[in-house]
Amino acid sequence: MATSKILIVDDDPDLRQALKLRLRANHYDTVHAGDGYSAIAQAHKEQPNLIILDLGLPAGDGYVVLDRLQHDDKLSSIPVIVLTARDPQSSEQRALQAGAAAFFQKPADNAELLEVIRATLPHETTTANLPS
Amino acid sequence: MKDQSTQVLLIEDNPGDADLVRLRLVEGESPVDVNCVNRLSDGLAALKEMSPAVILLDLNLPDSHGADTYRKVLENAPNVPVVILSGQDDEVLAMKALHHGVQDYLVKGAISSSGLGRAMRYAVERQALLRSLEMSRKQQLEFKNQFLSHVSHELRTPLTCIHQYVTILLDGLAGDVQPEQRDHLKTILRSVNQLGAMVRDLLEATRAESGKIRLAPRCVAIGDLIHSAVAMMQATAGQKGVGLEVGVDTTLPFVHADPDRILGILINLIDNAVKFTPSGGAVTVKACAVPSDPDFAYISVTDTGCGIAAEARPLIFERMYQDLNAVSSSRKGLGLGLFIAKEMVGLHGGRIWLASEPGEGSTFSFTLPLYSLAKLLFPVITHQGRLRDAVVLVKVVLRPLSNSFRGRWKDISQRCLETLQRCVYLDKDLVLPPMAAAGLEETFLVVASTDMDRVQIMMTRIREQLEKVADLNSHGSLEVSAAAVTLPDPGSMAAGSEHAGNEDSLKKQVQDVADRVSEMVRSAPAGTPNSKSF
Repeated sequence: MATSKILIVDDDPDLRQALKLRLRANHYDTVHAGDGYSAIAQAHKEQPNLIILDLGLPAGDGYVVLDRLQHDDKLSSIPVIVLTARDPQSSEQRALQAGAAAFFQKPADNAELLEVIRATLPHETTTANLPS
Repeated sequence: MKDQSTQVLLIEDNPGDADLVRLRLVEGESPVDVNCVNRLSDGLAALKEMSPAVILLDLNLPDSHGADTYRKVLENAPNVPVVILSGQDDEVLAMKALHHGVQDYLVKGAISSSGLGRAMRYAVERQALLRSLEMSRKQQLEFKNQFLSHVSHELRTPLTCIHQYVTILLDGLAGDVQPEQRDHLKTILRSVNQLGAMVRDLLEATRAESGKIRLAPRCVAIGDLIHSAVAMMQATAGQKGVGLEVGVDTTLPFVHADPDRILGILINLIDNAVKFTPSGGAVTVKACAVPSDPDFAYISVTDTGCGIAAEARPLIFERMYQDLNAVSSSRKGLGLGLFIAKEMVGLHGGRIWLASEPGEGSTFSFTLPLYSLAKLLFPVITHQGRLRDAVVLVKVVLRPLSNSFRGRWKDISQRCLETLQRCVYLDKDLVLPPMAAAGLEETFLVVASTDMDRVQIMMTRIREQLEKVADLNSHGSLEVSAAAVTLPDPGSMAAGSEHAGNEDSLKKQVQDVADRVSEMVRSAPAGTPNSKSF
């Protein structure tokens, strides 16, 4: 079974790096984007299995990215987990309605985030050999 | 120059007085345009059409008297200065009127034309001043709230960064960690988590203050929430050597409350109680009904700690209140927890209070509205003064597939609930408010006035309609089951409605049905022997 590839979209390079370390330690492959525009470009180029998306982004915020993904036949089936510093009361419902599979406020609990990533990745529930 | 004249609305039923006022106003220096009506209702109607510079108001009118008169006018024209022109020289009434927002109280016959003109001009000025003060107060509040909400958002990014890298180090993702280093990292993590909680409280308090908290009330077994809160606090209490005890009245009906918020309040109260209780002490969380206040559940958190001084008690629910004698005073937090708790309880329609004796511990208590199934059921399961012949409890369980996204699942369950509400008869069936759920599984309940044979038509309809709800099939499964509710004492019901006290006995019967339904909800999982699954 090939390793799942996750696209991390966050404008803060330190946070991107931290997530990359965390996900690679859990045997995920990662690719990265720092703004809305390159998020779409990377999604096309890399065809990730899952996207972790910040909402506050330059060059098209998270909602714009969600909207583009939803309306792109090649990308609409990729699940998106929103991970943002924004407040759930004002953002969660909007993000979910825009097509996000799950919503986390930063800082997210690592175990919980990994659990949802596992549950959200297509087909991954059938592979038992992935360490947690 | 007509539009430079002052528009005055005179509400006065005595034509002689009205003429006098008009005359005095016309005699005055500045031009005045007087619009006179003789009833309060006409005055209120006129206020819909015009916005006078000032209202001159007699209190005793054909359709309104005394304080009622000015109250209604103030309600309908909150921004127009009101000057009362009364025949009564009543200082008590005058002060009362001023405290309610009336600008002046003048006694007819004791006022000259120049005096009346001046009183009106001053009233207009004072009102304008008050309005600008109120506006700037609102602006400042709004600015403060925006600022705090911005700050708490911006603080989150660096906070997240620290959290991420500390956990990376702690989890050994960047190499081995020595035991001493690990201890230091844990200290950092604890502090970061404290900081995170403060940022959250800051935003929450700001929101409470500006009325922007949204509640998602559900039907909640308060005992379950107490047990969850206690389980979450067990480690903290254990480390300190403080016992955590629970005493919940298991017959307590459900409360109608937002489970996340109530859990937050409980954790906050328990956390405080543990903090102020010395090792070897105990914290007890209780929930019970109080017969003298039957519409509420009473929840209390009692500690055996140092107690709270009498002078501190009235202040303790205030924002930023800090007890100067608090233990381990180097880490006090923001002092927002109890303020938030008070606001949250208030939003639910309950109240929160404190009983304490220094040296003997404290008890924080709050109330939450009980969810009255009987009240909701009454119009549905009674018909022409008697209980309906048969009542069935229909249970709809939505189970997400193991890999369902919780976000999308929430949305799907909400749409299922809306669809379900369209599947029932409003006059004889009732979809109960959603139950608080531990996981993603959703249970919706319908009390239907029908028997076990006929309920199958309803179940088929529910099934057909829910299966049409977009994405349900690809994300979860649906189970519809039904069980008959045993009705109380069928023999006496046939006796009909001519008996005296029938209303009371009917209420009792409905209560009885409600109790049985609650019991079934509480105890019977889906697929019990007397239920029929499809």
